[in-house]
Amino acid sequence: MADVLIIMTMGLPWLGALAVWLTGDRRPQVQHRLAVGFALAAALAALLLIGSTSSAVELRIAVGGAFGDFTFVPDGLGVFLAAVATVVGGLAVIFSVDYMHGEAQLGRYYTLVLLFIGAMAGLALSGSLLLLFIFWEITALCSYALISFYNDDPKAVAGGIKALIITQVGGVGMLAGALVAYVYLGDYQISTLLSRHQELPSGVLAVLAFGFLAAAAAKSAQVPFHTWLPGAMEAPTPVSALIHAATMVNAGVYLLARFYPVFEGVSGWTTAVVVVGVVSALLAALMALFATDLKAALAYSTISQLGYMVYAVGVGAVFASQFHLLSHAVFKALLFLSAGAVIHAVGTRDMRQMGGLGRQMPFNRAVFIVGALALAGLPVLNGFWSKELILEHGLHDGPAWAYGGMLAGAGLTALYTFRMVWLVFFGKSRRRDHVHDAGLMMRVATGALAVGTATTWLLVGAFGDLLEDSLPFHSLHVEPAGALLEEIVTAPATLVALLVVALGLLAWWFRDRLAWIGEAVPQVGQAAAADFGFNWLNRQIVDGTARTAEALRTTQTGYLNWNVLGIVAGFVVVLVVLAVG
Amino acid sequence: MTAFTWMIVLPLVASPLVYLAGRLLKRGEQTVRWLALAALVVTWVPFAFAAFDLDANGPEAVTLGTVALRLDALGLLLAALSLALGTLVVLYSGPYLAAESDQEKHYASLLAMIGVMIGLGCAADLFNLWIWFEAMAVASFLLVVFHHEQPTSLEAAVKYVVQSAAGSVMVLLGIALVLSQTGTLDLAAIREAAPDSRMMLAAGALFVIGFGVKVALVPLHTWLPDAHSQAPSGISAMLSGVVIEAGLVALLRALGALAGVSASWGELLMAFGALNMLAGNLMALRQTQVKRLLAYSSLSHVGYMLLGLGIALYAKESAGAQGSLFHMLNHGLMKGLAFLAAGALLYALHTATGDHRPLTVADLDGAASRYPLTALGLSLAVLGLGGLPPLAGFMSKWQIFMAGFETRNGWIEALVVFAALNSVLSLAYYAPLVNAVYRQKPSAAVREGQPLPALMTVPVVALSLAVIVVGVWPGLLRWLSGPAGDALLATFGMG
Amino acid sequence: MSALNWVTLGVLGLLGAGLYGLLITRNLIKVVIALQILVKGALLALVAAGQASGQINLGQSLAVTVIVADTVVAVVGLALAVQVKRLVGTLDVKALSNLRG
Repeated sequence: MADVLIIMTMGLPWLGALAVWLTGDRRPQVQHRLAVGFALAAALAALLLIGSTSSAVELRIAVGGAFGDFTFVPDGLGVFLAAVATVVGGLAVIFSVDYMHGEAQLGRYYTLVLLFIGAMAGLALSGSLLLLFIFWEITALCSYALISFYNDDPKAVAGGIKALIITQVGGVGMLAGALVAYVYLGDYQISTLLSRHQELPSGVLAVLAFGFLAAAAAKSAQVPFHTWLPGAMEAPTPVSALIHAATMVNAGVYLLARFYPVFEGVSGWTTAVVVVGVVSALLAALMALFATDLKAALAYSTISQLGYMVYAVGVGAVFASQFHLLSHAVFKALLFLSAGAVIHAVGTRDMRQMGGLGRQMPFNRAVFIVGALALAGLPVLNGFWSKELILEHGLHDGPAWAYGGMLAGAGLTALYTFRMVWLVFFGKSRRRDHVHDAGLMMRVATGALAVGTATTWLLVGAFGDLLEDSLPFHSLHVEPAGALLEEIVTAPATLVALLVVALGLLAWWFRDRLAWIGEAVPQVGQAAAADFGFNWLNRQIVDGTARTAEALRTTQTGYLNWNVLGIVAGFVVVLVVLAVG
Repeated sequence: MTAFTWMIVLPLVASPLVYLAGRLLKRGEQTVRWLALAALVVTWVPFAFAAFDLDANGPEAVTLGTVALRLDALGLLLAALSLALGTLVVLYSGPYLAAESDQEKHYASLLAMIGVMIGLGCAADLFNLWIWFEAMAVASFLLVVFHHEQPTSLEAAVKYVVQSAAGSVMVLLGIALVLSQTGTLDLAAIREAAPDSRMMLAAGALFVIGFGVKVALVPLHTWLPDAHSQAPSGISAMLSGVVIEAGLVALLRALGALAGVSASWGELLMAFGALNMLAGNLMALRQTQVKRLLAYSSLSHVGYMLLGLGIALYAKESAGAQGSLFHMLNHGLMKGLAFLAAGALLYALHTATGDHRPLTVADLDGAASRYPLTALGLSLAVLGLGGLPPLAGFMSKWQIFMAGFETRNGWIEALVVFAALNSVLSLAYYAPLVNAVYRQKPSAAVREGQPLPALMTVPVVALSLAVIVVGVWPGLLRWLSGPAGDALLATFGMG
Repeated sequence: MSALNWVTLGVLGLLGAGLYGLLITRNLIKVVIALQILVKGALLALVAAGQASGQINLGQSLAVTVIVADTVVAVVGLALAVQVKRLVGTLDVKALSNLRG
């Protein structure tokens, strides 16, 4: 049964992709329906798969040779992420029916989205390192193609290529890690690595651990690889919600969580993970505070929240990281989709040109605020519970400086969230024309996510059992739901965190009186707006490569005599090398 | 004569017949096209027999007069590649060259080149190897200069001919050195008898450089971007997909005979591999002409093949060679697809309107709206070349990389990481092609482009499917690349 | 000096002259001639190699074959030169440097 469900979870979206592509752009209505139908069917299959969770290989395809067996394991981590990918994917596709209405090249859009959903489910369920890497790269490919969906816009093209190249550079780390694991263990199976990692020499284990960390940081847009995510906002908004908030960017955190038992003993690894998480969370929160583009602000906020998850893995709180992953996937998808409804209605992403939209879009305002409160970490929404759980673990198991940093990050999160809500929906209206509220399909998608934001935390017990039972190597001990929630409510850490959140809220309320801080240290705002120099670094690398390439072109002189000289020189060098060596 | 000699003889016999048919018959264009296609299709029959024979009975040696032939799995792989791509290119060239005169020269040369390349893969004697190599060069000269009324084609041909001839002289000198030192020209016998002398080392250097001109080792590569971009597109596909690879096979056969002379052939190939990857990618990065860009990308892909071969020779394990030869097959499919698709667009956008300008990246804007299958084919080809799964190129690169890590040598592992980073770099010039074809606003060239003949789309679709199928099911070609890797190591006496 | 040494000297001389020609000359006909000089050096080397290994017949038959093969290349080269002169109006290879970079 499980094998059939696995095949359906991955295969239905891909079949749908093929069907949409074959339908052709002349029948957009059929394309919409096919896409929604296949995406929802896949979501259903993924939800059913949760019932068949196990830590055993349920599907095996022997490829042989250098490629080993391609296996699929529906364990707790896998089915959970596959369910998130397909459910959020289904909602994003439903949202697209309104959002992409009347757009050209609809077939390409849905084909790529469905391909992505299938690949993401495959990534989650892979039981082999090579297969994991393959799906890892396919999601990157789909992400690139969708970011630059509007190919006529040079910014979209640049953003797509940047995303592709940065995640690929990180992917090289994973490639190296997977290869050393295979060479030393003779097997690509993830379970082999988890059970026999003690056999690896410590140097090899370090390559594996830090290679995977690089791959995860690139995929999850963590410092210093984070620069691609703001550029990815050129994608159609449902894509941003699906790929760049709810699913693909989580793959990095998923990777760290999946291999935590292997890497926790590598010296310096957990510290490195904590540093990456804290730095990403804080820097991105600052950048979100100064962003003027609505989607960019959400993107920075995603980086920041992913930082929380990475930090959680670093302090050993694997369950907390995954719990926050679930919450974040739901509320951030909600924020992106409702932001998409705003952008669709207003025609700009610049928050300075919005304001006072709440009266014209009451439904959209309501759902956005639900998402925003969850992001800020206010009770009783899902973001509150998972963030508190992370902070509590951080206080007990992590270094104090990191805890302080994350606490400050919580305050900043509240501050930038309120700023965002205010700029978009409240204050003075900066537009004259009437703006329509979200369409029906949009409301279906955002409404469902809003309900999810309010309720997914109730699943904490079941989710804990799911992971505890099917991850034999993680030795997780998740307390029962009641005890866990009670602990969060009564822990002093929660009170502290809520105080900090309240401070963030107050800071926005009294922003006029606090303006002197910004004036006193203008460098902070300038640096944040300039991405703390990381984009400059990117540009230097790109420009340097381009300059080298251009300079090298002069060696192709086009003159026959010089070409012959190349041959002679090559001969002399080879002769000398052979004679010496 | 056994099956595999027929595989060589059939195209070689068909070549003059095709030429004569074109000269003697009225309205011979149609005839030569189908005659050539028929000859290649028929050649698949002895190929199948030879493949079964090889599988059942192992390598077989035949001597016809002074021509010593021996078919091993490496020769079979080269035969498969040249026949497969050759058949598709003949199919494709029908409409592509429909308006040109003297088509019989094109088809006759192409058939001869295919036969000669199959023969080259079977050469068992050093001097025979040179003859095949030289014959392949001459046939390819005629093909490169097919558009002999265009100055750029002439320029490309002049560089190609002169540089090839210089390389071929070096090979001859190497042969003379080997003959004087060992007294024999049989490849296997040389390997047994080769003294460990300075002279043999010089012969090795002469072979590396002499054959290396054809393989386009950097810095001997300067003819390649010109010749590959100026040839008719079907020929570009053959040159990039098979001819440089045939040169590589010749190089390996000759070096195999000198296996015992130096212990550092593996390192040498790896060094050239690294150089080729980096130089090819950097040179391609700033190109604006599509075919020239693809030509430079061939440099870097030769680099991957050299890397895998070098690893195999260094480790004396066939894994690297298997990966490298798998990559040779995949590169043939992908680069063949890329050139055929780019050529189809070149034809539709420029050539069909009597315009001989090169195809630029800007011309591709919005091509997918009018030529969806061709644009998709080009996209799949370049993404596969960039090493993205689930396309063919990823699988063979992975196999090469894995072989590198299996050596457990830190330097080689670093080299593999360098190669992987090079793949990432290559996406910086492949990806913009994909972005261009899927723009919504078509370029002027696309708006005024001519419709594409269906026959030209057939090979593009076939190769697109192949690139996907091999990517999803990499074991599909293992019957070719696996034994060929072992055969290559046997050539070096390491099997 | 033995005969073989003289021959070696001759080979090196021919190769040097041919190579020098290839590197220096810009006239396409002269380029073909330089190539021919190179090949003649190789021919001499082959014959000498046959002699040195005690297989004079083998060396000579190789040389004859090379002459035939090389003539074909020379013909191609000269035909190209004719076409270049006709189309471009000069035999200077500098005029054939539009493909670069």
